[in-house]
Amino acid sequence: MSRILRKPLRTKGLSLFLHKLVGESHHIPASSSWFCLSHSLPHNPIPYFTSNSVPDAIHSSASLQFRFWASEAAATEPSTSDGLTVQGILAHNWTILDESDSDWKSHAAAVARSIDLIKRRLQWSKLKVRLDMLSAQVNREDLWDDPVRAGQISREHGSLLGKMKEVNALEQELLEHVDMIKLAREENDADLESESLKTLLNMRRNAKEKELEALLSGEHDSCSCYIEVQPGAGGTESMDWAAMVMQMYKSWAQRRGYKVTVIEEMPGEIAGIKRATIKVDGEFAFGYAKAEIGVHRLVRISPFDSSKRRHTSFAAVAVIPILGDGSTHVQINESDLRIERFRSSGSGGQHANTTDSAVRIIHIPTGITATCQNERSQHLNKASAMAVLQSRLDQLEIARQAQLNAQHTQSLTDITWGNQIRSYVLHPYRMVKDLRTNYEVSDPDSVLEGDLDGFILSYLSATLDKDDDA
Amino acid sequence: MKLTLTSVYRPHCFPTLLNSSSFISLCRPFCTSALSSVPTGVKPQVPLFLRPPIYSTKLCDLKKWHDWAKGLAFSVGSTFLHSDNGPDSSLLCRELKWLMEDAVVGHHSLGVKDDGRVEMRVDMEELYCLWRQRILERRPFQYVVGCEHWRDFVLSVQEGVLIPRPETELVVDFVSGVVSENEDLKKGAWADLGTGSGALAIGIGGVLASGGGRVIATDLSPVAVAVAAYNVQRYCLQDNIELREGSWFEPLKDMEGRLAGLVSNPPYIPSKDISGLQAEVGRHEPRVSLDGGIDGMDALLHLCDGAALMLKPGGFFAFETNGKQQCRALVDYMENNRSGSFCNLEIRADFAGIQRFVIGFHQ
Repeated sequence: MSRILRKPLRTKGLSLFLHKLVGESHHIPASSSWFCLSHSLPHNPIPYFTSNSVPDAIHSSASLQFRFWASEAAATEPSTSDGLTVQGILAHNWTILDESDSDWKSHAAAVARSIDLIKRRLQWSKLKVRLDMLSAQVNREDLWDDPVRAGQISREHGSLLGKMKEVNALEQELLEHVDMIKLAREENDADLESESLKTLLNMRRNAKEKELEALLSGEHDSCSCYIEVQPGAGGTESMDWAAMVMQMYKSWAQRRGYKVTVIEEMPGEIAGIKRATIKVDGEFAFGYAKAEIGVHRLVRISPFDSSKRRHTSFAAVAVIPILGDGSTHVQINESDLRIERFRSSGSGGQHANTTDSAVRIIHIPTGITATCQNERSQHLNKASAMAVLQSRLDQLEIARQAQLNAQHTQSLTDITWGNQIRSYVLHPYRMVKDLRTNYEVSDPDSVLEGDLDGFILSYLSATLDKDDDA
Repeated sequence: MKLTLTSVYRPHCFPTLLNSSSFISLCRPFCTSALSSVPTGVKPQVPLFLRPPIYSTKLCDLKKWHDWAKGLAFSVGSTFLHSDNGPDSSLLCRELKWLMEDAVVGHHSLGVKDDGRVEMRVDMEELYCLWRQRILERRPFQYVVGCEHWRDFVLSVQEGVLIPRPETELVVDFVSGVVSENEDLKKGAWADLGTGSGALAIGIGGVLASGGGRVIATDLSPVAVAVAAYNVQRYCLQDNIELREGSWFEPLKDMEGRLAGLVSNPPYIPSKDISGLQAEVGRHEPRVSLDGGIDGMDALLHLCDGAALMLKPGGFFAFETNGKQQCRALVDYMENNRSGSFCNLEIRADFAGIQRFVIGFHQ
C-alpha cells in the first residue's frame, strides 16, 4: 500500500515532464481501444478503456484494480509448468545453432535472447516506471478536467501498455511451446514435437524482426525531421564537404522513400554550401536520422588546392524532430518574434522586382532563428521558417526537460567540433569508419551516395543494447 | 556583351497601357501572340504552368538548353546588381529552376517517357526565347512564366499588369487581424482600388468569405480587370469579389458611406525616380501603376479624400506607400486637413523594416 500512497506525490512533480512526453499516437489508434487484463490479473478480468467514453462506474473500479496490476505485473514472472522462466532459459546458456538445425533448445535460447534484447531496446525498467506514473495519472479523478491532456496521457499509456503486453505475450508463448515440447517428448508424440519445433522456429524469425522494430521505439522516432548541415573552418574545401554530406542525406532519404524538401541553402562563394536545411518527411525519419548527429570528417586531396595537398575537413550535422499534431508544442508568442526580409536592400515595394522573398524569423527570448528561402512567395517562406522555428523551440524544450529529469539523452543542439562521429577517408586509402561503433566499410562512394543504413543500424543497436536495462 | 545588348533595347517611352501591345510584339518576335488583342475584349494569358503539355522534347535537348541557360545566368555575375539592384547569378539560377518547374511536366523525376522524351508546356524554341528575354531584355521572371506566387496563391500576371510585391502580402494580415475582432467589418463590403492582378482583392476575399463579406475591386486598365477576373475565377471567389472598370472611386458611387474597409497599393513612386528604376520594373511594368506624380503622393491623397467619403463609421483602411517620408506626410495630411475624419492612425513597417503602410479607421 505504501507504494500507492507515494504515487500522487511523485506524480505532481512529474506532471510537467509527462505533459511533454505524452502525445505519441502511432502505436494505437486514437479511437476507443481496450485491453483485457485477464492474463496477469488474479481477479476477474476487467476491460480497461482508453477513451473518454468510459462509464464512470467501470472506470473507477477498473482503476482500482489497475493499480495493483501495474505494479505487480513485473513481480509475477511467467514460467513453464516446471518453473522455467525466460531468464532461466538465458541462464542455461544453451548453444544457439543455425536456424536449419532442428534443436528446440537452440530455438528457445535464440527467442529468449531476442526477448532480452527487445527489452533492453525498449528500456524495460524505465518503461515500467513510466507506465506506473501514467497509470497513476490515468486513475486521477480530475483527469478528464483537461480533455486534451487526458487524451494524450491515455494515448501514451495505451501505447506503452501495448508494447509491454506484446513482449509479455512473446514470453508467454515461448514458455508454452517449451512446455509443449517437453510434453510431446514425455508422451513420445513425434507429430506434436515437430509441430512445436516448427512454431518455435517461426517465433525465432518473428522475434528477430521485432528486435529491429524495437530499435525505433524512442518517443519521437516516428516523426519526420529536419536535417541541417554546416561546414567547419577551412573555406571552400569544407563548404564542398558540407554539400557532399547534404547530398548524401538527400540520396539516403530518397532511397528510403522519404520526401525531401530543401528549406534553406546558402551557397558558398566558389563551391559548396555555407549552411543548408532539408526537411525529410516520412515515418521514422527522425528515428533513423538521429544516428547521424555529430561531426563528420573528410580526408582527401582537395580539388580546390592547386598544389594537390591532402586536406582534412569537417561538417556538422543536426537533426530535429518535427513533432506531430498529437504532441505538445511550445507556445510561441507573436510579440516575441522579429521577422525580417533576408538580403533585402534598396527602397523595396514597387521599386523592386525580385523573386527572392527569403524570410528570417528571430525568437527574441531564446535568440533562435529560422530562415526559409525555398518557397516562391514570402508568405510561404514565412510559414516554412515558422515551422522550422517551432521545431527548434520544441527540441530545446525536450532537451531542457530531459536535463530536468536527469534522463540520459543526447542533446541535439550541442554539436561541438570535438564531437566527431565518423571519418571518411578518400586518400591515401579508402574507408568510412564510424568512431562510435567502429563499423566500417571500404567503399566511400556508396556511402556518399546514401548507403547509410549499415552505419545507422549499428549505431542504434550499439547505443540501445549497451545499457544493461532489461 | 549582355550589357550592350540590353542597352540596345531601350524603348523610347515606357510601355503604358496604350502602346503595350506594340511594344511587346516589337521586342518578342518569336513568341506567342496571346497579348495581341489588347486592349478591347482582352483575353488573359494562361500562365505557363497551366498550359497543356502538348510538346515534347528529347531529354538531352532539354539538358542542352539548361546548360546554355545556366551559362547565360552565370555570365551576368553581379553586373545587374551593381547597375540597378537587379538579380545576380544565384537568383537567376533559382528562377531557372522555377522555370523548369513550370515548363516541364514532372520535373522532379524528369518525367521521361519510354521513348526518352520529356513532356513540355512550351516548345524548345520558345523556351530559348523566354530565357533570352529574361536575361538580355531583363523581362521580369513573373511575366516570363505568366504568374507570381503571392501568399498562398499563384496569380496570373502579364504585361500591362503590375506584378504584386511581397510587401503587399502584409495588407491581408492587417485586414485579417481587424476582422477577427470585428464581426461587423467581416460581414461588410470592402474595396480594393487599383487592384491590378487582383492580388489584394483575392487575399481579402479569402479572409472575408467565411463571414459573408465581399470585395469590390476597381482598376482603370481593362487588361488588369481581365487578368484579375481570371484570377478571381481560378480561386472560385467570383461570388465574393466583383470587378469594376474605372478610375479609383468612380465606379463606386453607389457605395458612398457604406464601405466597411478600403485597401490600396496605388502608384507611389515620385516621377523623377522612374527613370532610375530597376530594368525589370522601369522597362516592363506599366508606368500607370508606378508613377505617383511629382512627390509620388497624387493617388494616395486622392484615396485619403475618397476614404473619408466612402467609408462608413468605424470602417478600416490600409494603404501602401513609398516609405517613411510618405507615411509621415499621409498621416500629417489626415490629421491636419481631414481632422475628425480618421482615428487610430498607425504606421506599419514591412519585413525589411521600411515604414510601408498607413492604417486606421474612419471616425
